[in-house]
Amino acid sequence: MSDDRNPGMPEGPGEGSLLQKPVDRRGALGLLAAGVAAGAAALGACRPLNASTPEERELKVLEWQEFTQKHYRRMTEAERAETIARIERLAKIRHDEDVTIATTDAQPGVLFGYAFNVSKCQGFRNCIEACINENNLDRASDTQYIRIFEMENGVVNLEEADATYQHEVPLEGHFYLGTQCFQCADPPCVPVCPVGATWQEPDGIVVIDYNWCVGCRACMAACPYWARRFNWSAPEVPLSEVNPNQHYLGNRARKKGCVEKCTFCIHRTRLGQLPACVEACPTGARVFGNLLDPDSEIRWVLANKHVFRLKEELATEPRFWYFSD
Amino acid sequence: MTRSWVTRGTVCLAAAAIIAGCREGHQVRWDQLPPGTAAIAVDSATAARNAAREPGALATVTADTVVGWTGPGGRPFEVARRTAGPDAGHSRRFGTITLPIVLRQGARALTQYPCMSCHAGSKVTMAARRTPDAHHDIQPVHPDTAGGVCATCHAQDNVASLVLIDGKRATLDQSYRLCAQCHFAQVNAWAAGGHGKRLDGWQGRRVVMACTDCHDPHRPAVQQRIPFRAPELEKTRGPIP
Repeated sequence: MSDDRNPGMPEGPGEGSLLQKPVDRRGALGLLAAGVAAGAAALGACRPLNASTPEERELKVLEWQEFTQKHYRRMTEAERAETIARIERLAKIRHDEDVTIATTDAQPGVLFGYAFNVSKCQGFRNCIEACINENNLDRASDTQYIRIFEMENGVVNLEEADATYQHEVPLEGHFYLGTQCFQCADPPCVPVCPVGATWQEPDGIVVIDYNWCVGCRACMAACPYWARRFNWSAPEVPLSEVNPNQHYLGNRARKKGCVEKCTFCIHRTRLGQLPACVEACPTGARVFGNLLDPDSEIRWVLANKHVFRLKEELATEPRFWYFSD
Repeated sequence: MTRSWVTRGTVCLAAAAIIAGCREGHQVRWDQLPPGTAAIAVDSATAARNAAREPGALATVTADTVVGWTGPGGRPFEVARRTAGPDAGHSRRFGTITLPIVLRQGARALTQYPCMSCHAGSKVTMAARRTPDAHHDIQPVHPDTAGGVCATCHAQDNVASLVLIDGKRATLDQSYRLCAQCHFAQVNAWAAGGHGKRLDGWQGRRVVMACTDCHDPHRPAVQQRIPFRAPELEKTRGPIP
């Protein structure tokens, strides 16, 4: 309980005091759901929750279990496995998707950092294209985690920058600066969450439990970088374009009314891969690595280039730097 | 009057104390682990998963160890081999799409290096009248500004082989050895990770792209092109009340 911003929040799976209780309120609701399901199976003729076919019945029960599931950080290993199996089954029933959802934990001794070379970026937006496809972003509302701002040479003025340019790039006399979630060391979005649905992982990535988010959008108001996105409707991704390689805290299917954000491609980076934006960048403007490794590329950039961060005076300590050649 | 100044002074002091207090209370730094996480013990399941990760197995690109340069901390690194096959390592998969990672125009067409089909030996075998068309896309910046000719970089008996100032040969995959003769600052930054592009993973084998994968030596300027579609901010914002 050393983190006073999340009172009552355990620090890891299986450590919560709530687990010591025999049955809590949510557990009771879950048991109730299980009881309904068991009763339905026993009675046979009964049609619980207006479901007609077995699949519909299964869907109703799974949705009820999903509604009553625990907070991700309070789940035991077994509960996590159960939750993952449920989400994968729901994806199959709802959208006929065969997805694999990982719960890969942070690697010890790893703290992710990012550097963006403003003199290399040419504004091609390949990073955005890769991000949309990698993270299953909503095609209907055209959700994009990354913004590329076009600015006139000479001064960083985001107030007059253009993120919606549509002409041949690079434009003479202009430079390009990309923003996304900066995974701040002191993230203002985390303490404002009334339900503790967002937190910072040990490797510095700020994540959201989409099932726990109530959609109040306080985090969006708190973020000085406008890095979070809200799902006004259930995200739509064509079946043929769904990335089946997913992570519980990352690119799995979001629900209507929850907030989402860039997670440095948590499903890739925790396996040692690069985020999609870094890998897709054709100019090499993006550098990614482990801040705790003194021999990493990101540390070389921090030590040898002139770097700056956006709105540094707010002391959110973003782990995202800009540099130039 | 005096009283008003005293009041103002008190207010200023109080404000300064509050600001100082806030600054003092602000302890989090970018290079520190998030509060409360350092104490987390790695359970056996996590340890097993960590052990199962094989970062070295990530890089699937055919690559050669770089000669003459090392990365940060003296770590050796590798440069992707373009001649290994069509499009070797230069297109990446994101979700269900595959994107080509090329900056220079026509870079993928150069994969096969068909130089020798015309440049056999020191003679050009192609009909002389067709020669002006053969390299119509070349903007010979290097000869113009650096006083070089074809043979400054290409071996005269074999244009598909690079020749260094000291007469040594380099393969087309070792363009960094040639470029470093003048652009040493860029190549040093490239070796350290501040310039250029890493492929595959941030962990494990470090495989980077070579100079000429991005920079066309015959046409160094970045060509303009239409970017990926712009965001529709009104849709993303949702209904404005």
